[in-house]
Amino acid sequence: MTLALQATGITKRFPGVLANDHINFDLEKGEIHALLGENGAGKSTLMNILYGLYQPDEGQISINGQPTHITSPHDAIAQGIGMVHQHFMLIPPLTVAENIMLGQESIIEATRALKSVSVLDRRSVSKRIRELSQQYGLAVDPDAYVRDLAVGEQQRVEIVKALYRSADILILDEPTAVLTPQEADDLFVIMRKLIGQGKSIVFITHKLREVFAVSNRISVMRSGQMVGSIKPAEATSEMLAEMMVGRKVILSIDKEEAHPQEPVLHVENLRVMDDRRHMAVDGVSLEVRAGEILGIAGVQGNGQTELAEALTGLRRATDGQVTILGKDTTHATPRQVTSAGTAHIPEDRQKHGLVLSFSVRDNLVLCSYYQSPFAGRIEMNWPVIEQQAEELVHMYDVHTPSIRTNVGSLSGGNQQKVIAARELARPIKFLLANQPTRGLDVGSIEFIHRRIVEARDNGCAVLLISAELDEIMSLSDRIAVMYKGHILETLEAQAATREQLGLLMAGVKEDLHV
Amino acid sequence: MSSSVQAALPQSKPAARGFLRRLWDAIGMSLLALVTAFLLGGLVIWITSGSFDTVVQAYAGLFRGAFVKERGLTETLVASVPYILLSLGVAVGFKSGLFNIGVEGQFYIGAVAAAWVGQAVQGVPAIISLPLAIGAGALGGAIWAAIPGYLKARFGVHEVINTIMMNYIAFRFAEYVVSGPLRDKLASAPQTPRISPAAELWTFAAVPKRLEDPLNAFAVALIAAFITWLIMRWVVGRPSMQKRIAGKSQRRAVLLGVSAFVGMIVFVGLPVLTRTWWPFTDQYDRLHTGLILAIFAAVAVWWLFAKTTLGFSLRMVGANPNAARYAGVNITRNIVTAMAMSGALAGIAGTIEILGVSICRCLPLFFSSGYGFDSIAIALLAKNNPFGIIAGSFLFGAMRNGADLMELNSGVSKYIISLIQALVLLFVAAPGVVRWMYRIKSERRPEEEAPLTRGWGG
Repeated sequence: MTLALQATGITKRFPGVLANDHINFDLEKGEIHALLGENGAGKSTLMNILYGLYQPDEGQISINGQPTHITSPHDAIAQGIGMVHQHFMLIPPLTVAENIMLGQESIIEATRALKSVSVLDRRSVSKRIRELSQQYGLAVDPDAYVRDLAVGEQQRVEIVKALYRSADILILDEPTAVLTPQEADDLFVIMRKLIGQGKSIVFITHKLREVFAVSNRISVMRSGQMVGSIKPAEATSEMLAEMMVGRKVILSIDKEEAHPQEPVLHVENLRVMDDRRHMAVDGVSLEVRAGEILGIAGVQGNGQTELAEALTGLRRATDGQVTILGKDTTHATPRQVTSAGTAHIPEDRQKHGLVLSFSVRDNLVLCSYYQSPFAGRIEMNWPVIEQQAEELVHMYDVHTPSIRTNVGSLSGGNQQKVIAARELARPIKFLLANQPTRGLDVGSIEFIHRRIVEARDNGCAVLLISAELDEIMSLSDRIAVMYKGHILETLEAQAATREQLGLLMAGVKEDLHV
Repeated sequence: MSSSVQAALPQSKPAARGFLRRLWDAIGMSLLALVTAFLLGGLVIWITSGSFDTVVQAYAGLFRGAFVKERGLTETLVASVPYILLSLGVAVGFKSGLFNIGVEGQFYIGAVAAAWVGQAVQGVPAIISLPLAIGAGALGGAIWAAIPGYLKARFGVHEVINTIMMNYIAFRFAEYVVSGPLRDKLASAPQTPRISPAAELWTFAAVPKRLEDPLNAFAVALIAAFITWLIMRWVVGRPSMQKRIAGKSQRRAVLLGVSAFVGMIVFVGLPVLTRTWWPFTDQYDRLHTGLILAIFAAVAVWWLFAKTTLGFSLRMVGANPNAARYAGVNITRNIVTAMAMSGALAGIAGTIEILGVSICRCLPLFFSSGYGFDSIAIALLAKNNPFGIIAGSFLFGAMRNGADLMELNSGVSKYIISLIQALVLLFVAAPGVVRWMYRIKSERRPEEEAPLTRGWGG
């Protein structure tokens, strides 16, 4: 057994923080080593050290048994380490080939990319990309423009970019956070193929299901320390979750039976166009009653985003009718929808849900800043706002140094808690939760889930949209499956099976079979 | 888990840090930018003149011209007034995510409107004609700025392009008005007729004479009462006072009582006081009461963004329009409002130049100022803080005013001032350069040093 990579005693201090405390980590040749941990556990710091972005205060790194120093990302690439970041480092208006050759000339002798100062050798770059895609089963078109690619394809481009730079060790930082379950499965196939051809992979994640699906070995970090390593065969989800969080975690949600009452949201034959003027929601009818959770399952991009936007007044419906508590809100403004008693946990928390440069305090009154008691006719009532902010931060367990801290400097989980606090603290009748736990860690997911069930138990009608089938199945009372803008079927959650839902998500409806 | 998450956050607990630390955070980089610009300016003078003495002479001349020579300080203040108002206009735009590069044009339109109304209100008492002229200037600037605002909000046309275009329209429009429809037939040079004497903005030197008219004294008393009311409202609203004066109606009574009392004192006492003792005796001193208006405007802008719901929604639109839309804010209305307010401030600046500064008390053909473009630099230097803007405007006013004596004193061209101002802008816009020069480590992550305006066509 040879170690592709070995790090011993890595310690990294930031002012006031011990981000890595004598971490030992190794990667065997041809293995997928999963690194688990909650946000802020120190995974990213460790990986940034291995990628040369940070210098460790203590500790050694060796590659293929040779002690070495990694001084910069360039140096890391030169030593065969490639990293695929969670947020892709691609330039949308350039082609795949152009993105891949970018910055290359200074790294490898492959100056073929830049034959002379003025001529880019696109053809040989494209050829090499095609070879790599075939070799590893990474379907990538070198001449496509990155802006036209889906998220999963962009990720493949990132992987090809690393391979093009002759990386033997790949660090994948939360690669599945942006992927649909199907795309994630595709990625796992690619990962297995890569190790089959002698590459080694560090797989950073906080999703438990995935580590079982793909890894050879699992290491867990918590609070800057390495908690332990384990083989997937010897581990259970509960065990890993406990290692990550440091206490017992309830993975399945305890919820009592729903007691649905009067209908709150009524949608009749709704039709909504997307930005490209395609019919994204094509005649959807549904009803959510007080005290129940209706889950909308479906692969990302089947009209869920447009449906949510139309329901909340962010997008115009072309046809159909939406009523909330008997009030027609089909063409209402977002503020009118909110005033009708709607809370909305938006799909993209950084784009829609928060103003990142605002404080926690300001974000907590983003939707109600103009209302009594937070404001008079003209002036804000800051003392009341601050008092409420302190209470909500406490109640929703938001970890922040103060209510005046910028929301942008909080972790994703805490950001989402700020949104949940803001939306659920109001007296609400209807909650639209769109991808409420995307990219969050186990502890935060558990927290948000409990709050959603709590809202239901308090008589709120909940519409849950999620690409995570597990989430849909564990929270919903009824499940509607959305496919190409239609609701294919609505099932009772207790009766629904994974397989049944999976088929429906793929557009296969039994009575349509013939 | 809680401790680790908290520990991973930036270690800046604002309350725990010292006052000096916070002060440095607020103005340190701006100060360094200034100092560096002056050092480099000195270096340029040294190299071009070949003598270090020239540098000393130049800066000494600049200082004396700006502060020491006869009427130096007051002329510096006169130059600061348009700077304050225009930079406030720019700052209102920046805070709302808009780059209003057209304050110069709005300044012109304000001047045209004020010149027009000012000459049309002959014989109307000051208590009506002066507010009317200022209001006209503000309205003119507001409309002029609201047009590109509406075009942006409705059609997505970038405001930088449109406000620059509107500048040229404004310049040519002013020339047309001066040489065509509003030309003073009796004057040899193209200019508008002299405004009504009552509509002139008072210089400090003229205050005693103006106050002889009881109507004017009454107007001043009203303003004094209003300011007192604002101050008292703040005082009464403080927690310690809220405990002492319990009832809402009681508080209102105290407010009104004190304000009326102060107003009365001013009405009776100020004319007497100014006749017997008044420091501004120099009849040629141009320092005018527009300075008070400008400072008042700065406080108003601070209040707008710190305290009001409108300011909150404007900031929200500026920082993240998507989130603002999600939160139910009407983006179109907010953009137009922000531009209109920005333009109104610029328009008032133009008005003041006509009503209180221009020698003919009219709009002449050559009304070139360049104030508007300098103001963008001031707003950046002050990081859009209204009080920083007052300080920055004073500094830029001093440089503008001291430049002549500097040239006279040392033979260094007064355009070196433009060079220094350009360097200030450069260093403020690229703090990384200053940080690199002085080896200061950034505490913030790069993405937090948000650009002042969002990208093109956003």
